[in-house]
Amino acid sequence: MAGLLLRRLGAMVLVLLFLVVVVFSLERISPTDPVHSFLGANASKAAIAAERHKLGYDRPIVVQYVSYVRDLLRGNLQMSLRTRRPVATDLVAYLPATAELALFSLVLAAVLGGILGVTTAARFKGAGLFRFLTLSGASAPQFLLAELGILLFYRRLHWLPATGRSSLANAPRGPTRFITVDTLLHGNIHGFTDAIGHLILPGLCIALIPAVSIGRVLRSSLVSTMRTDYVRTARSKGLREVVVLWRHAMRNSIGPALSMGGLQVGLMFAGVVVVEEIFGWPGIGLYTYQAIPRSDFPAIAGITLVLGAGYVLVNTAVDILQAVADPRIAL
Amino acid sequence: MATAEPYLPPSVGTLRTRVVFKVRRRRRSSAAIGDRVAIGLLVAITMMAFATPLLAPYKPNLIAGDAFARPSMHFLLGTDEVGRDILSRVLFGLRTSWFASLEVIASGVTIGGGIGLVAGTAGGWIDDVLMRITDIFLALPGPILAIAVVAALGPSLQHTLIAVAIVWWPFYSRIVRGEVKALAARPHVEAARLAGAGRVRLALRHLLPGAIPATVVTASLDVGNLVLTLAILSFLGLGAPSPAPELGAMVARGLNYLLQEWWVPIMPGLAVMFLAFVANLAGDGIRDLLGMA
Amino acid sequence: MAPIENHRAGKTPRTTAASPVEDNTTKGAERELPVTGLGEETTPEPVAELDGLFVTFRRGGQAVPALRGVDLQIARREILGLVGESGSGKSVLGLALLGLLPVDPSPAVTGRALVCGLDMVRATADERRRLRAQHLGAVFQDPMTSLNPTMRVGRQVAEAAGTESEAIRLLDAVGVPDARRRVDAYPHELSGGLRQRVMIAMAVAGEPSLVVADEPTTALDVTVQAQILELLRHLCDTTSCSFLLITHDLGVAAQVADRVAVLYGGRLAEVGRATDVLESPAHPYSVGLLKSRLTLSARRVGPLPTLPGEPPDPRALPEGCPFGPRCDHHDDACDMALPPLIAAGRHPGVAACIHLGSVATTAELPESWAPAVKSGDAAPMAVRLLGIEKDFVIRHAWRTKDRLHALRGIDLTVAQGESLALVGESGCGKSTLLRVVAGLLEPTGGTVELGHGARPQMVFQDAGASLTPWLKVGELVGDRLRAEGLGRADRAAKVREALALVGLPAEVADAKAAQLSGGQRQRVALARATIVPPEVLLCDEPTSALDVSLAATVLNLLGRIRRQLGMAMIFVTHDLGAARVVADRIAVMYLGRIVEIGPAEQIVTSHTHPYTKALLGAVPAVGVARSPLRGEPASPLHPPSGCPFHPRCPIALESCSSVDVPLVPLGACSVACVRASASAPRPKEVTVASVT
Repeated sequence: MAGLLLRRLGAMVLVLLFLVVVVFSLERISPTDPVHSFLGANASKAAIAAERHKLGYDRPIVVQYVSYVRDLLRGNLQMSLRTRRPVATDLVAYLPATAELALFSLVLAAVLGGILGVTTAARFKGAGLFRFLTLSGASAPQFLLAELGILLFYRRLHWLPATGRSSLANAPRGPTRFITVDTLLHGNIHGFTDAIGHLILPGLCIALIPAVSIGRVLRSSLVSTMRTDYVRTARSKGLREVVVLWRHAMRNSIGPALSMGGLQVGLMFAGVVVVEEIFGWPGIGLYTYQAIPRSDFPAIAGITLVLGAGYVLVNTAVDILQAVADPRIAL
Repeated sequence: MATAEPYLPPSVGTLRTRVVFKVRRRRRSSAAIGDRVAIGLLVAITMMAFATPLLAPYKPNLIAGDAFARPSMHFLLGTDEVGRDILSRVLFGLRTSWFASLEVIASGVTIGGGIGLVAGTAGGWIDDVLMRITDIFLALPGPILAIAVVAALGPSLQHTLIAVAIVWWPFYSRIVRGEVKALAARPHVEAARLAGAGRVRLALRHLLPGAIPATVVTASLDVGNLVLTLAILSFLGLGAPSPAPELGAMVARGLNYLLQEWWVPIMPGLAVMFLAFVANLAGDGIRDLLGMA
Repeated sequence: MAPIENHRAGKTPRTTAASPVEDNTTKGAERELPVTGLGEETTPEPVAELDGLFVTFRRGGQAVPALRGVDLQIARREILGLVGESGSGKSVLGLALLGLLPVDPSPAVTGRALVCGLDMVRATADERRRLRAQHLGAVFQDPMTSLNPTMRVGRQVAEAAGTESEAIRLLDAVGVPDARRRVDAYPHELSGGLRQRVMIAMAVAGEPSLVVADEPTTALDVTVQAQILELLRHLCDTTSCSFLLITHDLGVAAQVADRVAVLYGGRLAEVGRATDVLESPAHPYSVGLLKSRLTLSARRVGPLPTLPGEPPDPRALPEGCPFGPRCDHHDDACDMALPPLIAAGRHPGVAACIHLGSVATTAELPESWAPAVKSGDAAPMAVRLLGIEKDFVIRHAWRTKDRLHALRGIDLTVAQGESLALVGESGCGKSTLLRVVAGLLEPTGGTVELGHGARPQMVFQDAGASLTPWLKVGELVGDRLRAEGLGRADRAAKVREALALVGLPAEVADAKAAQLSGGQRQRVALARATIVPPEVLLCDEPTSALDVSLAATVLNLLGRIRRQLGMAMIFVTHDLGAARVVADRIAVMYLGRIVEIGPAEQIVTSHTHPYTKALLGAVPAVGVARSPLRGEPASPLHPPSGCPFHPRCPIALESCSSVDVPLVPLGACSVACVRASASAPRPKEVTVASVT
């Protein structure tokens, strides 16, 4: 088990280094020269050369890469061309909002997907209609869900807010910077329910597609597991069907659903960008949305590194969870 | 030449009944009818995409009437903020989305499938190297990487397609390689080798055809995802520049009018959903028809 | 109406030793067995009773009957052997008794299946479940897939047994060594035999009234099969369980069953006491099955008697007797109606045949083979193997690797036209050796010399899988003609000829493998191998995946074609019975070594090596006392030092663990055993087997 853990972590480091290579090379092929963009169009040649030298762009590529990695490890991510602040500072400011939304969506997707998978694994009347509905859910782009959600729950029903993380003027700003957690820590129940209310619509918009994917994968692996010989053995022992499902089938079916969940995180991040823009959620997504039209590549590089690292982390965790679920993997 | 003892058993008679039996099963199953309808619908969409210039009532980029005209008999889906016909723009947007998705899938299947086939049949260090590369690509978040690639290359539809194609192939490389490996372990490959089949004949005649169903099923289940991903990138401004009728970009530009002139941002969104839905339904249908539930 | 002791005393001395009386204090009076198939009024109360049971599946809108009116009783504390080929409905019968018939889609069921007084056909799902919990146990064919891979075996047994300590007691009782430690193992950490013992421990937990064992030994090695069968007999004798032993192998049923029921096409063909049915079968199908069985006394000078044809297609069963199309005694009357079970006449049991009186028990013997080719130094060689070694490298994480020693110094010569059988259990290296000869694997050491002529060709264990599924038979069979530079028409003609040689019509050339039956696929594979006759034909257990009644047909075909085309043959099998019939010489392999080799008849009758003896002893046969070999073969990853067999050897000396014994000529055979010359000194003959 310890061996597996080490191997997975080693692989993770390798993938992260590759991610850095990709971002680094993209930055170099980007036609918008960061020096030009930063100094403006009418900077003098000498100033440009000085800036290039200062940034180390005249050194061999490998040296540049090594110093790039070293900078990264120090948390140094260059300057944003748009905000004129260090990208790292911006990211630290925006990350908690996104992390809160993403985690909420992930939990929502897992729970919804689990319920969907287990309930549809059993045959029931109207399964055809249900398939139709889940397929629609999997086909609805996040922006459409967000629009429809706003029209229905905000405009018509007035149930849920449509913008921001909180309606409180003086929402607590620490210590975790997750508003749900911070309001609870401050004993502000109203603030907590308000924050949850703000999370529901964007969270659902992000979670729906992954939930349907997870549910469908879980369903099909549950269905095939329920046909295996060892489930027949479990039934021959006279175990109740619920026990057979939970004790024997679930652990053997969870693997593919976990993988699917891990893979969906990539699509979820793209969804986060869209949903944050629509709901005015002050997170990395909104930051990205604003960086794209300005060709603010240093910002986008920083975002790619952070989200990429998050994705790699989640999938490493998925790998390890799978090994926990199936003793044959840990061999 | 002497023949062996007469062979009574279910020789040719059964042979025929078994074939008939298979055909009948497919025809009678009610699920198969739905599958066929879905696939038919997708084919119809493809043909519509080719005929879009003939079908669209107005030019997509020209002002056709008043701004913000509600959906009516005149403008079935209404007009946008400058008075362009949304239906015409949506039809052109569907055409772009659908062709773009097919292009990316085709390139993913070709590049990934080729790499997978080579890795699976060659084995050894070639397999190791190719699969390490594939794994590393797979370990990165595709859509985010695509955003970075387009941002670096500069926004345009062509660059978006290149970016998505770059992150889309590894999946197919894995699928095809896995199928080929599984097939290569089956006795029929050993038997073919003994019968003197060469490397190329082995790969093309005895391995590749077996990997096709799984690849086709994966691809057809994947098109829906791709439609959505491309729409998101377009929404983020990573597609063709402003006046071009792209569904995602139309939603993004119309967002401001959501609460009053809701049809401006909703209609293109519904079009994306419609396309993804038909693609997903047809994907399910193809999976069922190829018997790979 | 004989008490169990009397009934069994004659054939299994072990039964008296096990003395069931001591173990059973409550139900002593009930231990009487019905001696007739119907059970009649003699049985006080059977454990299970099938009454006109029909089970019909529906596939693609077509009715597919599995059972068609089965009446059967299982008495208390008996083993009932249910024998049938694939598609006979035997597994469906077992599932019906367990109340585990598929539910999605569920078959149409009529009749009754009473188990401990509950009708499993009409009972609710919950009633059936509770009955399974209290009164039923099940053992399935493949212990690897039948145990939950992600749950420790102790917990899996405890689910049935109630507590962990009871689980340990049960595992101990079924012969799992070191049970206290093994409860923490996962199934993949156990050997096949141990896994099946775990399954059995689960099945007998809580002393159920009936255990349904569906092919419990089919996935196991022969020596392990013998152990498991002995365990089942022992459990039946020492507990209050009855067993329904479902098997395709009459020999397996014969060895441990009290009564045997033969199932064919969803109907019972014959039911009676095991000894009766095996010694004087009444139904033509039972007669045919017994005749075509590969026993150690089967005739080897000519083709084996066979049952013509193949088991019926359940979608197209005949109106009348299902066996009619394959029966020698078939006439119009047979097709009128399904024959009912009537008194067998020949024994106190019953049989379903309207011509019982005229069924011949002795087969008219087919013609004899031409005299076998002389083996040995005289004939020119077809294959010569010198010091063949083959290691496989198993990679683990962390770049560590293990070497699996599949073949360890094999010397062997096969003469032109000679037939040699390689016999051994799984992991002995027999299939690897075959692939080395075929050129599919490169040996790690040693040389393979082939005579001239076409490259060796092979017939695979699973013929269906050896045919590329999406290609037509014509293309597959004609594949080897491409090198010959023949035109399309010539190739097609050659293909027709090759198909005719194996008894297939020319139309088969346009079919794909999936459209053919099992027997047809095996013939296609043979046609493909012989269209350009090779000098050596390699056969990798070509009959082990086939039904009993087909195996003899395929062996006859192999024998005929090999002689007709003058090919040498190397035949890999785990079955000494089959080896003896097809081979001129037999080589017995164990853990990558040949431990004994010699003329087939000598190996079977006057073998020397203790492993050969154990293999022969494990061949199931009627009324033969068994003392199965203990343990299972060691892993080829870590073969024992010295003689590889010494850890399991009943006559091992201390030196056997260190001294490596080479093959030494002994009489007509060669043996690798230190005790061979000591225990059985025989004068050396001049003609030495062709072992270099």
